[in-house]
Amino acid sequence: MKQHLSPLARGLIACATVVLVAIVADAALHDLLAQNPFGAPRPTQAAEPEASGIVGWLLAKQSEFYRQMSSTIRAAKSDGSAVWTLLFISFAYGIFHAAGPGHGKAVIASYLVANRETARRGIALSFASALMQSLVAILIVGISAWVLNATAKTMCRAEGAVEIASYALIAAFGLRLVWVKGGAFIRALQTTQPVPAIAGVPHVHHHHEIHDHHDHDHHHHDHHGHDHAHAHHHHGHDHVHDEHCGHSHGPTPSELAGPGGWRRGFAAILTVGIRPCSGAILVLVFALAQGLFWAGIAATFLMGLGTAITVAAIAVVAVSAKDIAARFSAGRDGGGALFMRGIEFGAAGVVLLFGVGLLFGYIAAERTTCF
Amino acid sequence: MGMRALFGWLLAVGLTLASGAAQAHPHVWITATSELLYAADGSVTGVRHAWTFDDMFSAYAVQGLESKTKGAYTREELGPLAQTNVESLKEYAYFTFAKADGKKERFQEPIDYFLDYKDAVLTLHFTLPLKNPVKPRQLVLEVFDRSFFIDFQMAKDNPVKLVGAPGGCQMKLDRPSDGSATAQKLNEQTFLNGENSNFGMMFANKITVDCP
Repeated sequence: MKQHLSPLARGLIACATVVLVAIVADAALHDLLAQNPFGAPRPTQAAEPEASGIVGWLLAKQSEFYRQMSSTIRAAKSDGSAVWTLLFISFAYGIFHAAGPGHGKAVIASYLVANRETARRGIALSFASALMQSLVAILIVGISAWVLNATAKTMCRAEGAVEIASYALIAAFGLRLVWVKGGAFIRALQTTQPVPAIAGVPHVHHHHEIHDHHDHDHHHHDHHGHDHAHAHHHHGHDHVHDEHCGHSHGPTPSELAGPGGWRRGFAAILTVGIRPCSGAILVLVFALAQGLFWAGIAATFLMGLGTAITVAAIAVVAVSAKDIAARFSAGRDGGGALFMRGIEFGAAGVVLLFGVGLLFGYIAAERTTCF
Repeated sequence: MGMRALFGWLLAVGLTLASGAAQAHPHVWITATSELLYAADGSVTGVRHAWTFDDMFSAYAVQGLESKTKGAYTREELGPLAQTNVESLKEYAYFTFAKADGKKERFQEPIDYFLDYKDAVLTLHFTLPLKNPVKPRQLVLEVFDRSFFIDFQMAKDNPVKLVGAPGGCQMKLDRPSDGSATAQKLNEQTFLNGENSNFGMMFANKITVDCP
């Protein structure tokens, strides 16, 4: 595999990154404008009808599965085999439904890119947060509706409170990422001279950090087997890591990578998973009303599984895209690191943007509507 | 390698696009019928809606409510819920948007509101009086949720009624599911540079009444 790329290839990658970042930013901006109650005129409407093909299909599929759920739960009262249909529908709904920042997909993807996480961890995070999401929905309905027999109004208020808390968590999480990644980006900017990758700048933490990364690497080799592409891939990755660490001061999140990194991963899981899906809450309450609460619980877990698969797929794409960029930019010492720090900083910014946007109601993709 | 990388990026871009666009999806379905109310002099005074919720949301809404007969709720027992509903709907402008000859009209707070519960689904009835009754040549009424949390569909039978309208008035309904070219075109013309242009627009139910 080539380490040094033609300027053309690098240019292409740079362009693709710009496009990707622009699209993410556009999606966020789109929401900002769309949710403006005083309605700023939106000049660029041209892209909308084109997108409606895929969107329409996704929405139709999702609605189809969701609307079948209530009739299937009803059917399950008299016919036990309908439960299997319910589980399948819930799973399919979960797969199609996991399309929105409210479900933390964008947050997870951005977090993975910002934190230089591995695809493996990305998948684990996706599944853990989806599981937590299911559990929170079951707890909310189980405690408020089943145990306390609270009204929808009370339940919706509880849901709303959890929602605000989750948005605040995303914003806080994004702020922390921006703080760390902004520092790294500025340090990369200040490095005018390309620094040899292996040497680094003498520093107290230096040996410690290098050591850490060796552990990290070994860990991956163990799990990934001895695939050639992977070995190379991690090599390229390391290149960047070492370079970065030469300048690192504070304890960056990458220092926590590896088996002990769950402490850090937990923050991501909590941030994304604390917010239950409105659809799951409705299904649970409906199942409870039909006297089949357990079927609702099973459906919720299957929904979570479907959601996890979609989110994991997107997480893997995000991490792979980042790794490709890392491999290409690794060919150039100074500029490559700056480029990668820039992407990470941008991704951290996206997390913050989502958090703040959701918190202040500019983005209302998955808003809890109490009425 | 180059091709694979390019493919990866394209995939990433595609997924991001899809996810950005598909972030709104309904959780509540409403089947609506609407009556346009006319005064004796031929001016429009308001709209009377009857919104039937889907069974899942209905079960959610009546959760924990006291009722004399299990599984049945009287209009009185649902009174507080109806009150909450119309109060909450204010924030969303009752999902009802009127234009008289292109000019935006505003509504007063709802009157005569109540809920009934039949066949395990709730129907919310309420009347929205116009702030100022109007007598336009063309009245456009749209019912939709701009965030698409709620999917509004006009009823199959008798979705719109003109109550006491002057003779010669023509009513036309454009449903979002029709995918009819006219609805798309009119929406674009009317709202492209207006304040309502956004994603939820694609799902608007558009009632147009032309009077001589």
